Amino acid sequence: MRREERIIRLCYRKIIDNSSTSTWEKYVFDDSYSEFMMQFQFYNQKKEYTTFSQVITNVPGSEKLHFLVSTAIVGYIKQLNGIVPDVLNNSGKHFLPFKNFRFEIINSDVTDRSRHKVAVNFFSDPLIWHDTIGSQLLVSTGDKKDKEEILTEMFSIQPLLSIYSIR
Amino acid sequence: MQRKDFLRNGIIAALGISAVAPLASSCKKDDTTAGSGSSGSSSSGSSSSGASGSCTVTPTETEGPFPTKTPSTLVRSDIRGDRTGVAFTIQIYIKNKNNSCAALANAIVDIWHCDKDGYYSEYGGTSMQTVDYTSVHFLRGRQTTDSNGLVSFTSIFPGWYQSRATHIHVHVYNSAGTSLLVTQIAFPEGSGSAVATVNSSAGTAYGYTKGMTGYTYNAQDTVFSDDSTGSEIATVTGSVSAGYALTHTIYVAA
Repeated sequence: MRREERIIRLCYRKIIDNSSTSTWEKYVFDDSYSEFMMQFQFYNQKKEYTTFSQVITNVPGSEKLHFLVSTAIVGYIKQLNGIVPDVLNNSGKHFLPFKNFRFEIINSDVTDRSRHKVAVNFFSDPLIWHDTIGSQLLVSTGDKKDKEEILTEMFSIQPLLSIYSIR
Repeated sequence: MQRKDFLRNGIIAALGISAVAPLASSCKKDDTTAGSGSSGSSSSGSSSSGASGSCTVTPTETEGPFPTKTPSTLVRSDIRGDRTGVAFTIQIYIKNKNNSCAALANAIVDIWHCDKDGYYSEYGGTSMQTVDYTSVHFLRGRQTTDSNGLVSFTSIFPGWYQSRATHIHVHVYNSAGTSLLVTQIAFPEGSGSAVATVNSSAGTAYGYTKGMTGYTYNAQDTVFSDDSTGSEIATVTGSVSAGYALTHTIYVAA
């Protein structure tokens, strides 16, 4: 079906936990857990709590832990060189550019490392959505210039990949 | 057909989201068949598995640059980021009460303070941040004490905000990351003090425009008011043009 061209941004939610296997994921897991262990103590000065959910429920301001712990993983985000991991185009290549992300602690426990679970939400740069061909979205990243050939990408929407915004 | 349904539903869901709040649900895993993107069983891309897009294209490029172990962006001595103001250096000595007040080496020291306008770098987890962290993680830093128990930071002179005296937050950990002390450093005050000067007309050119009207002095500050001996007050020397230097000693039980 043909449609009017729209501008979309995609969100890919990458979840990292004890079962993650790649080197990059393990670094993010290990370093975010170490940083959580350190920063958690500020919100647990009376040593009443052991889990992330306990401090979020009981300690005002503890939602800053998302931000504070994110400092441990920014270096790994930079190593991605602005390309969203895991999401492949129809040629099997990474193609999705991003500058924005949001780090999130899903769960953690200072007494049990295996319960640590975090997410990195990658927000893609704006894409022009030209058409949908079968199950594939046809998009391009550049500005369209009159009568010039523009390079495009084709990809499928896949689990944990959503359209974040549209205009 | 099911794939088309999935796509259309995805688009409708995307149209339904308004701003930030529904973000989590709009980008949440709700499909237990999630592949890692590397499953090789459906590489043709044309197989009609009927599942809602759970099969993905097999990667056709080599693994990107091998990741390298990277320290936290907090680990830096120049903590200015994108903030401007009167030049300011911070020297903090950590000493151990349990060892005749000798210097404590290898302690990890986190500091953070507000900018000239009284704002902290804080992001509550509800919005995006950019890969360029300098505009996000300003005025926060982490250093490890040397053999003299010293950590040094380059910053800008802190501003102030309602109901608090000018201060710097400090969290001291041992080398293993176990918390030893959470404390704050207070500033000398009164005529001629750095706080009074920076917040006078002398500091206006550097962007300090609040003045001292409504300032909370140490004696009224909720944190420093019980500091009768002044042990939390640092030594601050210098000038607006040359910058100020803060020196302070913190005692911990390690």
